[in-house]
Amino acid sequence: MSVFDGLVGQEMAAHELQVAVSDAQLVLGGQAGPAMTHAWLFVGPPGSGRSLAARAFAQALQCQEGGCGQCKDCLDIANRTHPDVVMTEPVGVHYGVEDVRELVAQASGSPIRGRWRVFVLEDADRLESQQMDWKPANVLLKAIEEPAPHTVWILCAPSLQDVIATIKSRCRVVSLRTPSASEVTEVLITKYGAEPELAAAAARISQGHIGQARRYVRDEDTRNRHSDVMNLPASLTTLDACIEAAAQFVETADERMKDSVKGRDTQEREDVRQVYGVGARGIEARGVAKALNDLEKTQKRRAKRARSDAVDLALLDLLSFYRDVLMVQWGADVSLINKEFAAQLHAAAAGASPEITMRRIEEVLRTRATLSGNAAPRLVLEALFATLRDPAVAH
Amino acid sequence: MKFTIDSSALADAVAWAARSLPARPTAPVLAGLLLEAKQTSLTLSGFDLEVSAQISLDTDVEEPGRVLVSGRLLADITRALPHLPVTIATDGPRVNVECGSSRFTLLTLPVEDYPSLPSMPTVSGLIDGPTFTSAISQVAIAAGRDETLPALTGIRLEIEGDTLTLAATDRYRLAVREIPWKPEQSSISATALILGRTLNETAKAMTSATEVELAFSSRDGAVESLVGFSGAGRSTTTRLIDGEFPKYRSLFPDDSATSAQIEKASFIDAVKRVSLVAERNTPIRLAFSSEGLTLEAGTGDEAQASESVDAQVTGEEILIAFNPQYLVDGLNAVVGDYVSMTFVSSSKPAVLTGMLTADAKPDSSYRYLLMPVRMAG
Repeated sequence: MSVFDGLVGQEMAAHELQVAVSDAQLVLGGQAGPAMTHAWLFVGPPGSGRSLAARAFAQALQCQEGGCGQCKDCLDIANRTHPDVVMTEPVGVHYGVEDVRELVAQASGSPIRGRWRVFVLEDADRLESQQMDWKPANVLLKAIEEPAPHTVWILCAPSLQDVIATIKSRCRVVSLRTPSASEVTEVLITKYGAEPELAAAAARISQGHIGQARRYVRDEDTRNRHSDVMNLPASLTTLDACIEAAAQFVETADERMKDSVKGRDTQEREDVRQVYGVGARGIEARGVAKALNDLEKTQKRRAKRARSDAVDLALLDLLSFYRDVLMVQWGADVSLINKEFAAQLHAAAAGASPEITMRRIEEVLRTRATLSGNAAPRLVLEALFATLRDPAVAH
Repeated sequence: MKFTIDSSALADAVAWAARSLPARPTAPVLAGLLLEAKQTSLTLSGFDLEVSAQISLDTDVEEPGRVLVSGRLLADITRALPHLPVTIATDGPRVNVECGSSRFTLLTLPVEDYPSLPSMPTVSGLIDGPTFTSAISQVAIAAGRDETLPALTGIRLEIEGDTLTLAATDRYRLAVREIPWKPEQSSISATALILGRTLNETAKAMTSATEVELAFSSRDGAVESLVGFSGAGRSTTTRLIDGEFPKYRSLFPDDSATSAQIEKASFIDAVKRVSLVAERNTPIRLAFSSEGLTLEAGTGDEAQASESVDAQVTGEEILIAFNPQYLVDGLNAVVGDYVSMTFVSSSKPAVLTGMLTADAKPDSSYRYLLMPVRMAG
């Protein structure tokens, strides 16, 4: 059993990392190990398992057995209690300069357990600051260029284009690919016990995003939300309906956001209670109210980001709908993502020309770009739906 | 687990072991204090992934065991207890604390998720506790605070036979202290670099120990990564800084052109007074001549101040400028009523050493090297 077994469809990357791990062992023994290096950049689309891969690599480096997943080192890393492994993510939308400075300071320490000092930075594309400069990234530059002898940096980002060139050029890149529908289907069946038919649908609809696929299989609300999006284009009959649909769309995204953060938020509150010893009798735990308050602020910042993610995911579903419509219109011999919704797809295909469909796709893409620039979702969506109803009006 | 112990001894131990516990840990178990009761002793441990602290107390253990509880809550409870024996016992997932008529119940944290504490390296030698504490505070003042230069935030420990040398620098000043110690092997030679802040706190906690054990990690095949200190039943380990400390010994000049001996207290007061007119980051000027020492600050149209101080000056006259705060730090750190300053030229570093009396020989076991500030014009 190896920690790399948990990565789906990443045989190439896993192999590369395993070679690095065995060379890392040579480096610890004072020999040359060219496959090991001190700065890594893991790139792969959302859902490809970047952070999972980073964690597996950290475990493999610290574990005496090259990542057994069972020993104290491997378990401590999974529990986030390993003294030589630090895993971070930005609290809000961006990393703060101070947070990165803190990391850089920690990175000069030597590994207590005598192997490596590993720092995992998720979302390295968010090393760009709020002011759109790369100050947080610049703080990191020297640390990842010439780290302490046993320090290893692992940065994760969706793609190479998302990371500033000065960081990119200092890292060895490991590319993770989107796992294929059949790979995702298999994992859903073997690991999560999903029904084969549902698993296949989930794999297709999530387009290789394992987390989404798992949610689709497990959660009926998720399935309902997806089918709502599939029924949306046909419902855009009048301007009133468009405005109604935009309101509904935002509300649904909100529900989706709440579902996605609920588990973690609850766990974090529980953690704070444990830290302060809430539940004791005979004494009032001091400072817990303030700690919970601070936590709530953090969670609110995170929720804001999760909400825009949720809108974007729903727009991606909509995009997949029009993509399928186009395939139907062209009579292309490719599999449809939303096969289960053939009736809606065919109706939409019959009601418009491929040019119109293309224009609709462009509108959805443009809306995604607009929303990433902090626009009011409801207004932008109203405009989108009005255009989708009658693309000719827009031009 | 069940044991009974004196409440004030427990309160002290808990306060010490819980002092470095993080307020916002990456995992809740890290805010826990580990209580381990074995036959006749109780061991308390805390670990924030950087510094580990462990303290052992002799006590009557009725039932041995191991339990993890919120460190800050236990510290709050033990601090408030009356001065009576306290009994601590586990009760399923809870821990009961009973002292006199007071009763508390705490929830436990999952002890199986607690990371293993770093093992104490083998002891390298012994050092006098109070001397160690004062030596650390003498050099810690010169340690840098700029975290982008990690090696300079550290205090360097060097062991060569029976001499232990401590050094720290932030590039503007350098403090070096040499102290005798008792190595386990007379041929020992080792170095370590430890975060100044951490070492200072560690040393303070060891003040009560007459002798402190120093332990450097040197396990076979493993990276040098830890240093351990123990004394008075307390032991602590801390992570080393993995970096290059500058080669500092050659920075001390071999000879000097001017030397001055000055009464320390009046010198410090004069520096503080004169530097009142020195704006942030502007220097204070010192003129040494056969007549004594004159201090000046401020220039041109701005506020100016000057003051004379008695000084025994030998050698050439010299005019030199320093950052007033760095000068005061050095003057406060040298031991004795008088300070000896030696100079090469106004662009070369000065060396400060302490003198117990006006006639005593300068004590070179502590040297404070101070870079001058270049004067305009």
